[in-house]
Amino acid sequence: MTRFLRQMFTIAAKDLRSELRTKEAVNASLSFALVILLLFSFAFDPTSDMTREISGGLLWLVFAFAGVLVLNRSFARELNNDCLDALISSPVPGPALFLGKAIANYVLLLGIECVCLPIFGIFYNIHWTGQPAWLALVMLLGTWGMTVVGTVFSALTVNMRLRELMLPMLVYPIMIPCLMASMQLTTPLLASEPISGDMLAWVRLLVGFDIIFTALAVTLIDTVLVG
Amino acid sequence: MRQKILIGIGLIAAGLLLRNIWLMLTNLPDEAFQGAIFRIIFFHVPAAFTAFLCFFASLISGIAYLRTQNLKWDAFSVSVTEVGLAFGAANLITGMIWARIIWGIWWTWDWRLTSMLLCWLLYAGYLVLRRAVEEPTERARLSAVMSILSFAVVPFVFFSIKWFRTQHPQPVLYGQGKMDTGYRAMLYGNWVPLLLFAIILIAVRMEQERRQRELDALRREIHAF
Amino acid sequence: MNDAAARNFEYLAYGLSAVWLVLLLYVLTLVGREGKIRAQIESLKRMVEDREKR
Repeated sequence: MTRFLRQMFTIAAKDLRSELRTKEAVNASLSFALVILLLFSFAFDPTSDMTREISGGLLWLVFAFAGVLVLNRSFARELNNDCLDALISSPVPGPALFLGKAIANYVLLLGIECVCLPIFGIFYNIHWTGQPAWLALVMLLGTWGMTVVGTVFSALTVNMRLRELMLPMLVYPIMIPCLMASMQLTTPLLASEPISGDMLAWVRLLVGFDIIFTALAVTLIDTVLVG
Repeated sequence: MRQKILIGIGLIAAGLLLRNIWLMLTNLPDEAFQGAIFRIIFFHVPAAFTAFLCFFASLISGIAYLRTQNLKWDAFSVSVTEVGLAFGAANLITGMIWARIIWGIWWTWDWRLTSMLLCWLLYAGYLVLRRAVEEPTERARLSAVMSILSFAVVPFVFFSIKWFRTQHPQPVLYGQGKMDTGYRAMLYGNWVPLLLFAIILIAVRMEQERRQRELDALRREIHAF
Repeated sequence: MNDAAARNFEYLAYGLSAVWLVLLLYVLTLVGREGKIRAQIESLKRMVEDREKR
């Protein structure tokens, strides 16, 4: 067990290190997020009350669009010099490899989200600090759902033609329940209202989504990578 | 022999269908609030049942492929998914035509419509994924994984309906649904011919897939000479 | 029969035909695939014959 954890964290540390040294995915993803934030301002009047009503949706769209850029690189990075084959034939088991990569992606996505959130608050005049604990929880749960689904599909599409097109096409429909719940929860949180009553159902949905897809991903990853 | 069985099934289905349409138009009274248009439900709902049954079969055959590595299961999985998509499209289109009369709009972002569309897109994604992989066993493996993951999302998509206000008529078959038994009998009765048609289509498509595989094998053999 | 009821029936007809139209479209794709398989068989046959002549 400890060996599994050690292998997992080795993979995660390796991915994070190589990403932080080159910063290729993070830079692209962050600047893409900024562009989307700018583009949204043309779609509607950014000062109106309407912004507040759709703020959760906007924020998670930014996260989802920017996130896929990071997720895409996760396995594609290993294609050079046949690193993927080396990883698969190394003694690291598939689930450890997958979870390691997922953790690295998770950290990167959360980092990007933490940069986007204040910028979003400034640009659209939203006070997002009203419910910090709940907001953090929703972001942690929602991002994990996105990461798990995205990482599996990153592995699934890695050898395909048109990989960059396939990933978003396959991944967004599957992410929708997770994004949906996060959007529903984030909107009242950005208006500083606590989560209670009916809204707790969305939290349960998020938790269920995370658990089921993590379990599925871990059981299926060997078939995806090795066959 | 196989062809004769299929033609036989087709004839039975066509007979049942004609009888049902006849009964539907002559025997069943108009529904009190909706008038004649409500009869679309006899195709709309069974089409949805068929589509989901097909998607479920795709999940089962995906698992079966991963267990047995037998490409027959893969052929079954594609056929079933394609037929499911056809019936899903029929469901969506009849729903839109019904909505045009009852709600006055073609489409509304009601959660159930949205989730049906989403499922449709998911399984369309499955077909796109198949086209992107050349090698048959790799294609079978990856698409089996895709169909398992897709089916895992379906309940999430549909459970969230409860937490959304919805314009869609409440489920009519269970709970406090108050559908008349005559209507209900017709609903299930009309599912039978649709299901039979689905079976024929699946059988034809599987046969094509099998021949395609044999052809590919033959061609490889000739090239190897 | 009043206007609304007539429109009702018109759309009912559209609905019923839509179901079969969709299925017909699917059958057409099946026919198309059948044609493709036939063409492949033909080209294979020709290839085999060519080889036998040589």
